[in-house]
Amino acid sequence: MWEALIKIGLLIFVIMTAVAYFVLLERKVAAWVQDRKGPNRVGLPLTKIRLFGMGQPLADGVKMVLKEEYIPGHVDKALYVLAPISILASALATFAVIPFGSIWPTADGYIDFVVAPGFDAGLIYVFALSGIAVYGVILGGWASNNKYSFLGGLRSSAQLIAYEIPLSLGILGIVLTAGSLRLDTVIAQQAETGMWNAFVQPLGFVVFLVAATAEAARLPFDLPEAEQELIGGFHTEYSGMKLVMYASAEFLHMITAAFLIVILFLGGWHFWGITGSGTEITWVTALLRVLVLFAKICLVVFGFMMVRWTLPRFRFDQLMALAWKVMLPLGMVNLVLVAAMVEYFNNAVAEKPLMVFLVMTGLMLVSIVVTAVLAPLGSRNERSPVGDLPT
Amino acid sequence: MSPESWLYAGATVLGAVGMWLLLPRPGERMRWVGAAMSVVSLGLILSQVSALGDMLSQSMFIVIGSTTVISAAAAVTFRNPVYCAIWFAMMLLGTAGLFMIQGSHFLSVATIVVYAGAILVTLLFVLMLANPRGNAPYDRVSWEGPLSATAGIVLVGMLTMTLGGVLKSKSFAADMPSELIAAQEAQADDQADAAGPVNILTQDHSASLGARMFSAHLVSIEVAGVLLLAALVGAVAIIAHSRAAQPEEAKSAAQVAMQAPSENGRDR
Repeated sequence: MWEALIKIGLLIFVIMTAVAYFVLLERKVAAWVQDRKGPNRVGLPLTKIRLFGMGQPLADGVKMVLKEEYIPGHVDKALYVLAPISILASALATFAVIPFGSIWPTADGYIDFVVAPGFDAGLIYVFALSGIAVYGVILGGWASNNKYSFLGGLRSSAQLIAYEIPLSLGILGIVLTAGSLRLDTVIAQQAETGMWNAFVQPLGFVVFLVAATAEAARLPFDLPEAEQELIGGFHTEYSGMKLVMYASAEFLHMITAAFLIVILFLGGWHFWGITGSGTEITWVTALLRVLVLFAKICLVVFGFMMVRWTLPRFRFDQLMALAWKVMLPLGMVNLVLVAAMVEYFNNAVAEKPLMVFLVMTGLMLVSIVVTAVLAPLGSRNERSPVGDLPT
Repeated sequence: MSPESWLYAGATVLGAVGMWLLLPRPGERMRWVGAAMSVVSLGLILSQVSALGDMLSQSMFIVIGSTTVISAAAAVTFRNPVYCAIWFAMMLLGTAGLFMIQGSHFLSVATIVVYAGAILVTLLFVLMLANPRGNAPYDRVSWEGPLSATAGIVLVGMLTMTLGGVLKSKSFAADMPSELIAAQEAQADDQADAAGPVNILTQDHSASLGARMFSAHLVSIEVAGVLLLAALVGAVAIIAHSRAAQPEEAKSAAQVAMQAPSENGRDR
């Protein structure tokens, strides 16, 4: 029990610090993309040392904690307070099943780098909690009693529910090849063959990547809080610590998405030649595995931040069309492809990895082209002949 | 009657009256009296729950179990449907926690995904679109309050009695010879060893669950799949039909749906 409590405390500390510094990284990347300097003044407190602005998260945190806890008069108070709590709690609880590395050898056995080792439905647990996060958005939007908030909440819940389907279709392929719902088994299976799932099922990777970006409500999918249209979306009426809870929950969702992408498709802690692949490890390989995992996470998060400043936001009908007309069929195709591979060419991944990669990539390109021809996303920007129903 | 039976009877009557007072009905409500009676009844029933293994699991079970029961009671007693839905979600989380204590991980997370993540969110969506605060008062009272409160509490009491082993030991065991009881208990122990919690808590419990569902219950799974497919096709057919037939009506419905909740008339 004490081991679990220590792990939980360490996890929350590390994760919340990581969130603060990812916020700083986001501002730095934004500045770099837009040819600015970004936050570079705040360094060590009470000294003149600037440290490239590394003290900025601390200053932001102090500022937010000291802000007034203001609750507007026209809101539904109980739900208004409950909404940010529920979204942050579910975002934090997700990390209970996510492995932060492999195992650490000790004198008597080993320590797992995961809070709840042996949880047998880890993948579904992550989805269950991302389903709970919808409540925070929809309740916050409704309880604020503000039309911008309400529209933001409605958009967001429709988007999250729609993109959960391609997300789970992308995951079903992984479950088929790994034969388990446990995240550590998924990594172990990729490390064993040396073929990351992104090479075995590239179509599933593309579907999952897009759906995970949408689930994390990152640009180009950030319609719930589109500033130009909705001011702040579902958190228009929030300020102070409650706004911080929403903002950190959003960053936590992005980090969860990065973890899932790395663990499910990019081999987790595995890297050819330096991390080994089995359970017989020394503390050097254990440390290397943690470092490799964190390097991959940071790369994926950096990718998210670059995408933010690269692609413009979707319109709402384009968003829905992408989910239902493009991602859903592509996910189905991927599932059938992977099922056929597992059923008829089960040894091909280990014996002819290059062959599998080339065939799967070719099939991915064919199915994307077919989808593009059959369900073009381009729209004529005219009113629909049927009326103003969302399409 | 034995003291335990009197206790169950008292708790059941108390709980039934308390729940009836709590249920939304027209006129004066005396909600605090009802809440106090329900809580006392719940405490009486909880005191009879047989102890689990260690202190930690016992306290976890009591906390999660009472959260579930209280949320379930709140889900039917609040007047604002949005609050009812939130309490119902809380009850689902509690149920998932109870499954988790029993070691059935898959069932626990599947409960959250299916009920809280899909069904209830859709319900909440509709509730918020339909603006429930504008309804007439007679839409917000529960019908057949005394009957439903009694039925619910009797069910809870009976389940607890069975769980506490009171029914078995008091009513059946008195007529039986002691050797027969011993033999039955030994058999029950054997069965528990063969198919009990040990089996559930294996490393690949999801895999064994799936293997059992797709071998022993294959026909049920197929029938459920066909039903869901029929529902899906039906939904698409309804949408296609209504779009082709009544574009104007759909348009006005979409406009009505955009109205946000009004400020006044707030109650819970």
